[in-house]
Amino acid sequence: MKEIICIVCPNGCTLNVEKNGGEITVTGNKCKRGEEFAVSEMTRPMRTICSTVKTDRADIPVLPVRVSADIPKEKIFAVMDEINAVTVTAPLKRGDTVIKNVLGLGADVIATSDILSRN
Amino acid sequence: MNIARIRKKVSAVSGGRVNAELKDNCIVLTGEADSWEQALEACSAAAIPYGKIHVVNDITVKKLVEKPMRMPSVCDKAIDGEKPDVLIIGGGISGASIARELTKNKLNILLVEKEPDLAMQASGRNDGEVHPGIDLSKGSLKHYYIRKGNRMYGDVCKDLGVEFRRVGQYVCFNEAWARPLIALYVLKRKYIDKIEDSEIISGKELHKREPNFNGSFKFAISNPSTGCVCPYGLTIAYAENAVMNGAKVMLNTAVTGMQVENGRIISVRTNRGTVYPKTVINAAGVFSEEIAKMAGDRFFSIHPRRGTNSILDKKAGKYMHSVASIKELAASSGHTKGGGILHTVHDNLLIGPDAVETSEKENVATNPESIEKVFSRQKNTMPSLSERDIITYFTGVRAPTFEEDFIIEKGRKCGNIIHCAGIQSPGLTTAPAVALDIEKMALEMLGGAQKNPDFNPVRKPVPTLRNMSDEERAQMIKKNPDYGEIVCRCEEISKGEILDALNSPICVPTVDGIKKRVRPGMGRCQGGFCSPLVTKIIAGFLNEPIDKVRKSYDGSVITYGSTKKGRGADE
Amino acid sequence: MNNYDVIVIGGGPAGLAAAIQAKKDGASVLLIERENRLGGILKQCIHDGFGLVRFEEKLSGPEYAERFIDEFNSLSIEALALTFVTKIKKNGDIFEIHVVNREGTAVFNCRAIVLATGCRERTAKQVFIHGTRPSGVFTAGTAQHFTNLLGELPAKKCVILGSGDIGLIMARRLTLEGCKVLGVYEAKPSPSGLTRNIHQCLNDYDIPLFLSHTVTRVFGDERLEAVEISRVDEKMRPIEGTQQTVECDALILSVGLIPENELAEELGVSMDSGTKGPVCDEKLMTSVEGVFSCGNALHVNDLVDYVSESGETAGAAAAAYKNTERTTVKLERGQGIMSLVPQMLDLNGATSSVTVYFRSADVLNNCALIIKIDGEEKFRKKYAFLRPPEMERLVIDFSAFNLSPDSKIVFETEVTSV
Repeated sequence: MKEIICIVCPNGCTLNVEKNGGEITVTGNKCKRGEEFAVSEMTRPMRTICSTVKTDRADIPVLPVRVSADIPKEKIFAVMDEINAVTVTAPLKRGDTVIKNVLGLGADVIATSDILSRN
Repeated sequence: MNIARIRKKVSAVSGGRVNAELKDNCIVLTGEADSWEQALEACSAAAIPYGKIHVVNDITVKKLVEKPMRMPSVCDKAIDGEKPDVLIIGGGISGASIARELTKNKLNILLVEKEPDLAMQASGRNDGEVHPGIDLSKGSLKHYYIRKGNRMYGDVCKDLGVEFRRVGQYVCFNEAWARPLIALYVLKRKYIDKIEDSEIISGKELHKREPNFNGSFKFAISNPSTGCVCPYGLTIAYAENAVMNGAKVMLNTAVTGMQVENGRIISVRTNRGTVYPKTVINAAGVFSEEIAKMAGDRFFSIHPRRGTNSILDKKAGKYMHSVASIKELAASSGHTKGGGILHTVHDNLLIGPDAVETSEKENVATNPESIEKVFSRQKNTMPSLSERDIITYFTGVRAPTFEEDFIIEKGRKCGNIIHCAGIQSPGLTTAPAVALDIEKMALEMLGGAQKNPDFNPVRKPVPTLRNMSDEERAQMIKKNPDYGEIVCRCEEISKGEILDALNSPICVPTVDGIKKRVRPGMGRCQGGFCSPLVTKIIAGFLNEPIDKVRKSYDGSVITYGSTKKGRGADE
Repeated sequence: MNNYDVIVIGGGPAGLAAAIQAKKDGASVLLIERENRLGGILKQCIHDGFGLVRFEEKLSGPEYAERFIDEFNSLSIEALALTFVTKIKKNGDIFEIHVVNREGTAVFNCRAIVLATGCRERTAKQVFIHGTRPSGVFTAGTAQHFTNLLGELPAKKCVILGSGDIGLIMARRLTLEGCKVLGVYEAKPSPSGLTRNIHQCLNDYDIPLFLSHTVTRVFGDERLEAVEISRVDEKMRPIEGTQQTVECDALILSVGLIPENELAEELGVSMDSGTKGPVCDEKLMTSVEGVFSCGNALHVNDLVDYVSESGETAGAAAAAYKNTERTTVKLERGQGIMSLVPQMLDLNGATSSVTVYFRSADVLNNCALIIKIDGEEKFRKKYAFLRPPEMERLVIDFSAFNLSPDSKIVFETEVTSV
């Protein structure tokens, strides 16, 4: 049995995960999302990344971004390398794609602010 | 003076390991001590309080490794070959005030300071009290200068655009029986020592004036001439006025040696070139002994003494409005200083300082014991004091001689140096008066000088918008909208004031330099909110990236450059 | 033309929610913000996890704030950015708010004020760190400003003191940007931040957490060179002889937040020693009639969703404010309660559905919150666990309790079973 902390929401439930052959049973979760998290954590842990990308503007040197869907935990630093390699130019709205399908992981890097929405 | 008796005393306290000799009219101590404290004990035993024959400390202290003076990192030829009439060594309150007074004359004046700003040591690390002189007796230079200095403060600060308040001081007593004795003491002060403003007030009157003081006080000595000033603000103002009137101030410039021939300084070496001054003024604080030695004129010794002060939130500033200390008749002995409470010109409270002997001239690190000690004592004066109101604390190192008096005189063996040494409390109070006398000495040494016809004693300070009415403020903002953009929310400092400080006569474009001049970061958040903004403004002013901005010293970088250095650039 | 029903001071999540709610309720509203953009501290909180309660989405700070800013703009609410309130005067029933900005100075009048001024961070000196004064000592929020707004790296090898959420978030953030985080040190025996942040910010990146340890001294004359770490005893005092020196170029402090209430204090608002914010009734009106408080100025929240909620409560109440007599009764903190909001009820108002926020003083398992009225238990809610870092929220019908101004209402915690 393995004990893991659920990071889906601020409740931070302590989940008890039992692996019986191919079957995984989860207890301690308050919701369905906790169970999904536990299963994914045991098979392929996924995480989100929030960071910033460089802009070409002196007054707003960086724009906040995140990935549109969770990515495999072991790819975090590889994705950070991609994020740190781009420079964006206004206009760019909240939700706009900054990097399409980053490293082929099926998630985009998207802008999370409207600060560059005007030229 | 009886050297045999001194020798006996020194021998007694050192177990015969330290010897005292009279050499060149100095009491020179040699031998070995186990500790710095032991050496100090021997020197103190040999010293004649306020005497003109000084103790020179040549005692070797076992295992004491003296740290070399911290040197500026810059090394260039910026002042190489300059031939100033007067070279002032040290940019504290002494050096800055002397420079300003000398600019009344048509002279080429150069002030060098090893630190990246003025008032970086004792002058920027004291309580800012303008003393009344109540504890000083006739015969000392401290006493000679304090009455003159205190009286000059109003005019000097007005000319230099520095806030000064005569808030008055109370020395509080718990022992009713002592009142007649203290009354006599006050009379003696008045008629013999000419410290004339003191009077005794009752406990009831004290409580009326300062309702939050301990109700148990039976009476107090009131010294209405006591004032407070921002000590680094005044130092910077003096230096700026000097620069306005033609003096040159070189920061990050340390004296490393001198060429002396036939009892005269020919040249002075610095990290920024060699200069050839006609006269030299030694205002080097804790390093004044080293400067004297370079000039072949070492006739005194400095023993550094630390003092730590705490600054309390402005909210606590409402508790009292003066300067206060408590006199515990049973407990007073030697230098066990427990400091006082002072309402500053910025309306904070300042608690301290204590007094701790040290061998380290530049160690200004703070220790918790200093604060605990001072607070426990000062709570006797004002029980509502709380450590929880502390927003910051700092330590300074005083530069006393063993005689505990100032040295303000021409060189004894060197013909073109004037010493302004051994300066400790009340050196801030005395500085305006001392500077006038040193100006006179320098003129004598130079054989006179023409008056500077363009001398302007008035320095216009950076405007303080938070103290203005809405109407005045609106006028200022109309002229310069930057005055309407608040950068430091705790102290209400605008971008305009910060830019003014950057454009002032002595530009120190560092976060600490700006903080000292216009106070962003001095408030309760200690720069938490404004330091990134101030850093950005400085970077903009310098037209440099943010990672080129410093907190203070060359190595005090704030950031390490962009987080976005491209692919795989972490290493 | 400078007259409004409601003036909101502060344009972070609390102030935005308050202004939006007051406007929706028909009031004329002005919002005053001292920074150049609305959004408050969320502008620099680029990490995700905001809005789970309200939007059931994991938003980043800017996304959460901008949803409110979009609504704020669509309602055409007046706002003054880069505008600083210098003083507030009360003239009869009217508040005069004096401001300064790049245009000059101005005075605005209103019937009701909502104070949404947020909080500030405790500093190194407030936790009595001694030693030299080098560069490289930052509060977590300052480090976050440099990193996320200016795109500048404030550290290459750092130590974090305090396990508050911002400290944990910054541990991860700096690691992502290539900084080595040597460890997070916490003086308390349990972490201050949310459990999930310990997991996803520290454990995911192998950053060690040292409980019952604190930084006692910093070294370095120019840039920070090292810190001294000491173990602490149960009273959080450093234990002599346990000092160790850790070389690093930055010390990042996440040692607590203090509600900013300088304007409230100037208005004579009574303060609560538990929350360090104003004493408020269920409508979040302070002890001064017409002055409302919300968000982190009211009490430090760990979820922005509750910040917005308190803003809406205060905004609605400010819009509806009429200077009518209050009949108040105190809500008291008893055994085991660290903080409680509101601290009083207005018995003349609606008390049937009062939102109460509280924090437990201790880590408790299998426990309950109990409300005693005049010594008698009237309310009980069971919890699997209560932790000081996690604020609890519940809605209580006080109208059922037959309260009078003399009632003694005490909130307590109790461990129900082992």
